[in-house]
Amino acid sequence: MQPCAAYQSSGPIESWPDNSLRAWQLERLREVVAHARAHVPLYRRLWAQAGVDEAALGSMQDLERFPIVKKEYLVKAGESWMNPGQGPVGFSTRGTSGEPLLVWLSPAEQEAYIQPTMRGFRWAGFKPGMTALLMSPVWHRLAACEVHAIHRMGGRAVFFWGSMGGDHTDSFLETLRRNRPDFVTTTAPFLLSLIRRAGEHLLPLQKMFRSVNSVSVVGLPLTPWLREFLRDRLEVGDIFERGGTQEGAALDECAIHGAAHVHEDVCYLEVINGEGKPVAAGTRGQLVVTKLTAAGSVFVRYGTGDFAAFQPGACDCGCGFRRLKIYGRPESSVAVGDRTIAAYDARLCVEEDPALVGRNVLLVRDGKRRSEILTVAIEGAAANEQQLLRRFQDRLAVGRVELIWLGSLRINWGFRQVFDRGEILSPQVREVAR
Amino acid sequence: MRTEKARLIFDVPDGRLCFADGDLDTWAEHLTWCYRLMGVEEGATIAVQDFGSSPLSFLGSALLMPGLERGVAERLGGRFVGLDASPERVTLTPAVLDQLTVDVLVVRSSVADLLHEMSQRAHRGVARTPTRTIVAFRDDQPAPARVAPWRYLLQIESALLLAPECSSCRRFHLRAGFYALREGVVRNSRLRSARPYRLQGAEELEPGRCSAGPDDWYIRYPGWAAA
Repeated sequence: MQPCAAYQSSGPIESWPDNSLRAWQLERLREVVAHARAHVPLYRRLWAQAGVDEAALGSMQDLERFPIVKKEYLVKAGESWMNPGQGPVGFSTRGTSGEPLLVWLSPAEQEAYIQPTMRGFRWAGFKPGMTALLMSPVWHRLAACEVHAIHRMGGRAVFFWGSMGGDHTDSFLETLRRNRPDFVTTTAPFLLSLIRRAGEHLLPLQKMFRSVNSVSVVGLPLTPWLREFLRDRLEVGDIFERGGTQEGAALDECAIHGAAHVHEDVCYLEVINGEGKPVAAGTRGQLVVTKLTAAGSVFVRYGTGDFAAFQPGACDCGCGFRRLKIYGRPESSVAVGDRTIAAYDARLCVEEDPALVGRNVLLVRDGKRRSEILTVAIEGAAANEQQLLRRFQDRLAVGRVELIWLGSLRINWGFRQVFDRGEILSPQVREVAR
Repeated sequence: MRTEKARLIFDVPDGRLCFADGDLDTWAEHLTWCYRLMGVEEGATIAVQDFGSSPLSFLGSALLMPGLERGVAERLGGRFVGLDASPERVTLTPAVLDQLTVDVLVVRSSVADLLHEMSQRAHRGVARTPTRTIVAFRDDQPAPARVAPWRYLLQIESALLLAPECSSCRRFHLRAGFYALREGVVRNSRLRSARPYRLQGAEELEPGRCSAGPDDWYIRYPGWAAA
């Protein structure tokens, strides 16, 4: 990032004072809104109805006057959401909350996102000359930036054959053995699948990971205990959490591991309550994403459906970018009484017990929209049940908790963390899973 | 190529493909040639249901690979949509295809039947223009049973062998200058990390039989409806 006289700031943008950063963001935001009004019929119509445009943006707070858009709305909008400069490469979201959304990447947008990817990889310890085993660039819009970042940082990129499912763990391990990478990007569920497979087949996992200094993971919010578990089981230097959405959010952890820093040069994130008002740092709310590049698919105040919270205070690493923890989504949580419990919350309670870390933890739904009982299914045999029940009641403030110990039943590690009771307990599923 | 010089390495079934800076454009140009030979027009939107480390995927656009000046999308002046070939992603494809007009859907043969089933299920009772499908197959594996594609593309990753079914002669072209064929074994003439591949059940035909590629060798698979 070039020093910018207009904002009286120099040095990397992550070290700018807050007022300079916000002034810079405001200019980008006005460009994005002007671009969207000129080229995207959906936003033009929506904002005309709301009586807002780029002239209404006197500060970043004025963005709150713009309506929030959700995925269903964009899927239905079809061509009226497209724009002529959105780029030649399309990515599909995972469709975990219903229909997948098609998101487009352009050269200008990619250029903007490569810089923060390089920043995140530097934080995670990547250095010139290293070899990185990466996720497929076709898998995710942000993954497409990873190989470019590695290349520009003077590294070598290696790809394994297959996809990020349990079927391809052996293929990943073979690539690991053959190429001895220093750095790995992958998903946390995939790493956990590798650990499970190694345990079942007595594979020398630590030997296979011997060359790896750090692993950067996406896909599952890490608890401190799960991070430690992964680090110990793989014997790697460190585990870093990346975050991001196809719709433009981009986050990376620094070595402090407080929470991931938002790359505020490419996206502006808000956390809001049910009334659409911003919540204080430390309070959970709904994540809203605005991309700060007038390129690719345009997202202005896009409600991702994720629950998240900004972390209060400054980070000791010196980076001025805000820190955000994304906890989950409606499809990875259940409603109990008047509370929404994410699978992450349940794992936080379970993994505090060293005997239970690394087990798959699933929330169980009874088909009701809201239950009075929190039901949690945990892999393996029962252990320290009374203490665990107390932790659930104390930490999550739920009156009644039911634990289902899954014994030898193995549910694939994946992005899905909530199951219906019938799926977990039906004899057929148990048989297939065995 | 020696592995140490490669900046990009793709592990593929039975081998690995190693590329130094500047190597990828040769192959993006070749894949574009394959698409044109099969009848894909300029400006086409191509969706690829294959793994990310398949050449059909990573050669799709310059945005996907550093050192690739122009991928297939840039060369055809079209668009590329990567769909991955994991079963969970295949189940999403009908919904993705509802959101845009795809000119050609290229699908890995191992998931072609699953995709067909998902499409039938999603569009039951709905009149819909069928997407032109190209099945990328290996000749050492069974062909999909339920799909009748528009074209076939022979793809052997370890040899970086991409041989399209010609829209004129309906045979598979082994492009001159890219591949050498001798006694049933195809050798890649341009990528040292590529391995030789012995064709399975193919009939070889000498050059000079098709004006779309007069210097190419041709192969066909007796008994195949499309060939």
